[in-house]
Amino acid sequence: MSQLHLFHEQTARQRIAAVTDAGSFAELLPPPERLTSPYLAQLGIPVSFDDGVVIGHARIDGKKVYIAAQVGQFVGGAVGEIHGAKLTGLFKAAARDRVPCVVIIESGGVRLHEGSAGEIAIAETMRAIFECRARKVPTIAVIASDIGAYGGMGILSTCCDFRVMTEHGRLGISGPIVIEKWMGKKAYDSSNRALVWKTSGGKTKYLLGDADALVHDAAGAVREAIGKLLTKSSPVTLKNAKARQKELEKRLKRFGKTADPDDVWKGLGVRDIATASLASGPEFAALAKAGRK
Amino acid sequence: MKQPSPRALLGKLFGGSAKGIAVEKSVLTGYAQAGGKDVCVIGTCNGTYIGNEAALVLAAHVIDCVERRPKTPIVMLVDSAGQEPNRVDEMLGLASYFGHLLNCLELARRKGHKLLTIATGKAVGGAFICYGMFADRIYALDSASVGLMPIEAMSAVTKIPVPVLQKLSKTMPSLEFGARPFALLGGVEEVWPSKDDLQARLAEAIATAAVDDNRAALGKKRGGRKLALDIRNRVLAESAK
Amino acid sequence: MEKFTKAFPSKPLRVPKDRQWALAGVVGSGNLEVMFERAARASDTMECHVETSIPGFRDSWLAALADFARHYPVGGTKVTIHDQGAAPVLVNLRLRQAYDHLVKTKP
Repeated sequence: MSQLHLFHEQTARQRIAAVTDAGSFAELLPPPERLTSPYLAQLGIPVSFDDGVVIGHARIDGKKVYIAAQVGQFVGGAVGEIHGAKLTGLFKAAARDRVPCVVIIESGGVRLHEGSAGEIAIAETMRAIFECRARKVPTIAVIASDIGAYGGMGILSTCCDFRVMTEHGRLGISGPIVIEKWMGKKAYDSSNRALVWKTSGGKTKYLLGDADALVHDAAGAVREAIGKLLTKSSPVTLKNAKARQKELEKRLKRFGKTADPDDVWKGLGVRDIATASLASGPEFAALAKAGRK
Repeated sequence: MKQPSPRALLGKLFGGSAKGIAVEKSVLTGYAQAGGKDVCVIGTCNGTYIGNEAALVLAAHVIDCVERRPKTPIVMLVDSAGQEPNRVDEMLGLASYFGHLLNCLELARRKGHKLLTIATGKAVGGAFICYGMFADRIYALDSASVGLMPIEAMSAVTKIPVPVLQKLSKTMPSLEFGARPFALLGGVEEVWPSKDDLQARLAEAIATAAVDDNRAALGKKRGGRKLALDIRNRVLAESAK
Repeated sequence: MEKFTKAFPSKPLRVPKDRQWALAGVVGSGNLEVMFERAARASDTMECHVETSIPGFRDSWLAALADFARHYPVGGTKVTIHDQGAAPVLVNLRLRQAYDHLVKTKP
């Protein structure tokens, strides 16, 4: 796949092809299986052959991985019963075979049209992710589009060992429109794109330490970041949990009273906000690192 | 249905030992007893919204339990309307705070703590996903409001008329809101009548808790979620070829 | 939703049988997905199944599909379409893309 394509503009299938070894992807439950949502069909809403998520196995630098990519264009990449069961099955297969699992997330969370079935599916997938982690099988979430990882999928992404983001990616639970409705336009103007991205975008998440890599919006860069993480894992231990507790307490104490994301950026090493805003992901990471010294 | 006060409910669940549970800003933490044995309690009440701070309080208590009370079962009570839409919480990584709470619960599970949830009031959206749904076994009081969202709210967001959703919910319990339809999906092991002897129910539930995730199998058996288990198993079978 | 099915005469598909199916596009507003599969049935017809969220355009669909079957050798295939209001020009593009995926030997 050509590097000229921006990763966030590619389709789910193109993304998988672009981050894995050429021709190595084998899809599980492929489109001819026609596992389409009976809920959407009943509601008279168009269905999709893969129910909005492509799953399978492939190789990255010769190493086997399980990989999934959500289709953001299809009902917002939201998780219904089938979609969620495909994800659960994939992570369970990864745990069973001790093969790393990568999920390219592009989802607003639970698919409302399927009610609680999608909600339970996300909870089940979380359990499956932790089955992987119990066996030290790396789990990696890639968040690289403006649909991002929201709602239950935002929470699910934080259950994985690692998160790879681009500056286009957004990670959160409630989206800007919901928050604006709740708090008022004064507190959160959802049409202010700079503010929206500074609230939930890859740069801020990377600064906070919630994203483990911030890379260019290109498949090659995403692939390289995944490749580096495939041999690592983030063990669930008491020591790590206590350290994380301390870190999150400190974060809340330090920035909980501020409404301005620029304060967070400055506090975490960004000296020149304007330059940092225009910087690419990796440039931004370098600026913040230099600023903290 | 009228909800009992948080203290009254804690009394019904834990008897006199409920005094060991602190209620602060509608967040519950403490230690109590069930069936004559110690349990750790975390939870929410009053249908409160939860955010970063609540997640940290709950996580800290789970860590405390893991450190100081090895293998003590953890009972999670859920009565929360979800995460409050808040820009500052989001900016600081609400998802990560919830993820940390889940991580702490996973740690407890691996260290041999049984994890049990009782949905006591509102158990909706993010607040249910971020701890309650992560238990080994999940129970709900019949008075609890369990599910993604009521049909009216679903209609408002999806623009599908309420009568259409109501009609479909007759054959698709996933669309219906409440503890019983949620149990049909396998999301809840058993619905407890609020009038029952809840102390006895709880003691029994702790004694029989198992760690496998049985929800998809239950959903299939009960007919509320017919596809999930088979699809998952097909992924497992075909990936093994 | 409107659904319809029809078969059109077409010259037989002329490529090796290593590829059983091909997909193009995604289901999203103003977009569609098109899947070609090799069908076991007659090698001189293209069997079409269309589901569209915009009712009332059956004739345009059938004309576009008949046209495609006339210009491309797709006999012996089954094409299934899930449409969410795509413009005709996009329908043609997706048909061609899916066909190209089907006939090219390696990615």
